[in-house]
Amino acid sequence: MRTLTKICIVDDDDIYRFTIERTLESLEYSTKTMAFSDGEQAINFISDHLNEDAELPDIIFLDIDMPVMDGFQFMEEYEKIKSNVSKDMIIYMVSSSLDPVDIDSAKKISSISDYIVKPISSDRLKSILENLN
Amino acid sequence: MNKPKSNRKVQEEYNKIFIEQAPTAIAMLDNDMKYIAVSQRWLKDYKLEGQKIIGRSHYEIFPEIGDDWKENHKKCLQGEINKCDEAPFRRADGSVQWIYWDVRPWYITDGSIGGLIMHTGDITHLKEKDLEKSRIEAILEKTNEVARIGTWEFNIIKNEIFWSKIIKEIHEVPEDYKPNFEECLLFFKEGESREKAVNATNNALTKGTPFDLELEIVTAKGNSRWVRAIGKSETTEGKTNRLFGIFQDISKIKLSELALDRAHSELKAIFNSRSIAIISTDKDGIIKNFNRGAEALLGYKANEVIGVKKPSVYLLEEEVKKFTKDIAESFGKNAANFNHYSDLAGRELNDTREWTYIRKDGSTFPALCTLSAIKNSEGQNEGFIAVSTNISEIKKVENELLRKNQMLNVAEKITMMGNWQWDTITNVVKWSKNLYSIFELDESQEELTYDTYFSFVHPDDQKDVTTIVQQSIKDKKFHDFIHRIITKTGKTKTVQLLAEIITNDQGEVIEMIGTCQDVTEQKMAEKKFRGLLESAPDAIVIVNATGKIQLINKQAEKLFGYQTEELHNKPVEILIPARFTTKHTDDRKRFFLTPKTRIMGEGKELYGLKKNGKEIPVQISLSPLHTEEGLLVSAAIRDITKQKLAEQKIIESKENLEIIAEKLRHQNKQLADFTHITSHNLRAPVSNLNALLSLYKEGTNEVDKNDLFNKFETVIHHLTSTLNTLMLALKIESEDLEEDLETIRFEDILHKTKEILSGEIINSGSVIDSDFSKCPKIKYKRIYLESIFLNLIGNAIKYRSHLRTPEICIESALTDEGKAVLTFKDNGLGIDLERHGHKLFGLNKVFHRHPDAKGVGLFLTKTQIKAMGGHISATSKVDEGTTFTINFN
Repeated sequence: MRTLTKICIVDDDDIYRFTIERTLESLEYSTKTMAFSDGEQAINFISDHLNEDAELPDIIFLDIDMPVMDGFQFMEEYEKIKSNVSKDMIIYMVSSSLDPVDIDSAKKISSISDYIVKPISSDRLKSILENLN
Repeated sequence: MNKPKSNRKVQEEYNKIFIEQAPTAIAMLDNDMKYIAVSQRWLKDYKLEGQKIIGRSHYEIFPEIGDDWKENHKKCLQGEINKCDEAPFRRADGSVQWIYWDVRPWYITDGSIGGLIMHTGDITHLKEKDLEKSRIEAILEKTNEVARIGTWEFNIIKNEIFWSKIIKEIHEVPEDYKPNFEECLLFFKEGESREKAVNATNNALTKGTPFDLELEIVTAKGNSRWVRAIGKSETTEGKTNRLFGIFQDISKIKLSELALDRAHSELKAIFNSRSIAIISTDKDGIIKNFNRGAEALLGYKANEVIGVKKPSVYLLEEEVKKFTKDIAESFGKNAANFNHYSDLAGRELNDTREWTYIRKDGSTFPALCTLSAIKNSEGQNEGFIAVSTNISEIKKVENELLRKNQMLNVAEKITMMGNWQWDTITNVVKWSKNLYSIFELDESQEELTYDTYFSFVHPDDQKDVTTIVQQSIKDKKFHDFIHRIITKTGKTKTVQLLAEIITNDQGEVIEMIGTCQDVTEQKMAEKKFRGLLESAPDAIVIVNATGKIQLINKQAEKLFGYQTEELHNKPVEILIPARFTTKHTDDRKRFFLTPKTRIMGEGKELYGLKKNGKEIPVQISLSPLHTEEGLLVSAAIRDITKQKLAEQKIIESKENLEIIAEKLRHQNKQLADFTHITSHNLRAPVSNLNALLSLYKEGTNEVDKNDLFNKFETVIHHLTSTLNTLMLALKIESEDLEEDLETIRFEDILHKTKEILSGEIINSGSVIDSDFSKCPKIKYKRIYLESIFLNLIGNAIKYRSHLRTPEICIESALTDEGKAVLTFKDNGLGIDLERHGHKLFGLNKVFHRHPDAKGVGLFLTKTQIKAMGGHISATSKVDEGTTFTINFN
């Protein structure tokens, strides 16, 4: 039996958020999405729900380029509170950037499971969800 | 006639009887000197007893009577009377008889002379006594003279003083000197002698006390003498009449005594000395004397050794054996059975040698001992006396001397140097060991004179050597010089002579002492150095500490156009352009303080000055040269004219390359920026389009598809906008910067901006202040400046704080270089530059959740400013505001 997977999309691009949500919906997985348009909003949410597993997402799709707090700045903040977070969340850095600097920087952060270049195909999403379950 | 005859007979008879019975020696002779009668005494005195002499001639009896007496007799027969108190009568047997006589004629009645009456007396025994007395007196006088004894007398009654000749001589007064009492006392030396003399004289005068004193006098000539004064008084009826006595010059005795005393004291001091050990032994070899010095040196107490120990206690057995052997051999005896005592009888032994003495504590030390045999009156050896001193220190000094001498030898060997002495008076020459080695001579075989040395001087140098030696003697100062020699084995060597000349008090040269060093190798080295110098590719100039040129090579002559002679001993600054000489002099002095090999004036352009006044660019490297003449500096000078030209070309090429590189870099930057922009700003909408397209393809109902289509529109719009911005930016960067430049007043641009943004300004209630007084205008592209003002003021209003009235302040200024600076300061939201600073001016970068934030304004502003060669920067604090500063080119 498949459990409900909570997916958090942190991205300032409305269209991108929309396409992910729609793609997830099209898959045969029980998912629930939540979205934040910058890193600060996302980290605030996590900080507010450190021990609330039910509220916290299972997967985070994290953009790099965002106003207020970008993806890397989010990771810096997340690392600070990580030990207090009750839930193990899988974080994917997702960006349209092919800049090797960005890719390398992301791969150096151990909490990031992978760097995914936009757009995320439905197959990739399936695979991610499959692995999770 | 008969009667007279009868009377005569009677008288003759009478006389005869009288004469015969007379107690004295009387003889009666007739005119023919024949005996008529003699007394018994006559016979006895002349030893004629038993002889018949009557009728015999007086001269027959005494044939020894000479003609002088016979003459006297004749005179007496004629009436004279001949008397003599004493006269020697040399008898025929050789004896002398002293006699007195009275010879007179006797008369017959008619008054005629009948003959002679001789009355004699043998006074020989009396005369002998007299003679004895005179002899004694003469001996005494002689003795007095020899013993320098004189007599004196003081007749008190007459107040007269008598001094004998000797006393006058002792006092060194003339023979006619008349002494008086007071003066006599004044001859005694003031002080103890005079006091004693006065007291003794007084006591003799008043109490009759005799005296016998040794006193010091000062003679009339001022000489000091010691005398013995003996005196006694003569008293009559209790009153002293006279003083008399003797006076003896005992100066010699006294001086001898004093000398003896001194010698004795000295001997005593020596014996008591703590530094000289004196040990004597008796005939059995047992120690008899052991002085303090011996105690101190050997550590034994005298009472430990005297009478009980033999010297073997402090001597090494092998040294004793060696001593015995040496002594025995020197006396031609066999050492095995040599006896120190019997074998030395009647022979002198005086042996001085070094011994090793053993102290009581077992430690040893070297001692120098003189051993003498003690002889008795028969010449038999009664023992030995040994006088020893500790020569540890001397040995130490000797060893040190030996060591230093060895060191000198080694030093001379190492430095290939020898030393010599030349006594110019005796022409005796002494050489050190190494000097013989330098000349390859055998030390033992050569009798040295100046000619020995001269004979080895190279024939070509002999004239110079003679000249210099003669000149040195003349100047009394040795002129050091170098010349060649040919050694005994025929080797040619170069030697350097250094010397000092020694003169006597009269300033005459008496000796020369000096050194002779084999400098062959140095000379070779010099030649090599010279060869090296000449073969060097660079010009070499060698300078001394005072900056005087000492040596240059051919290359230097060629480079500077001078001949060597023209530069020798000239200041090195002659080769340097005048504008550098002062500094160069200081630099040169500094170099000599800390000399080390280095490049001169590193990083600076150096120039040399040729004789013809032309300057040449040079490169110089300096090296210190430590030489016997002191520190020199070798400057290797390279003409770098060609290099300079080449360098110039390289610099020009480099500059061109740099320009090209800068263009390339700029283009690369543009490319990089474009890559970044495409990566970030173009890929995002494209990926959105792809995602939407996938959804669209998969979409089943029309509503969804319409919704998706709307999304497509949004993405396409965004993409178009981004592309437009990029196009604009590329246009800006490729535009001709010189085109459309005009002088624009900042005030005018602000005014226009305010007009465009009037709605926002009013709505937001923003207050805009400006001050362009310091720099009111700028030559710029109007369209850019308008865009810059619009973007920065627009941003200030857009990102204002709603907690306060927005205030915007714009000011212009000029930098020190005269460049325009413009600042836009607001009190808005501010930007967290720590977080966003790196992407502040990036395309599509937004920092606030503002609905209108597009991230385009600052991107374009920066692009425009950079295109015009300027620069924009920002300072900001969140919730306080931001200041943008533009530095125009």
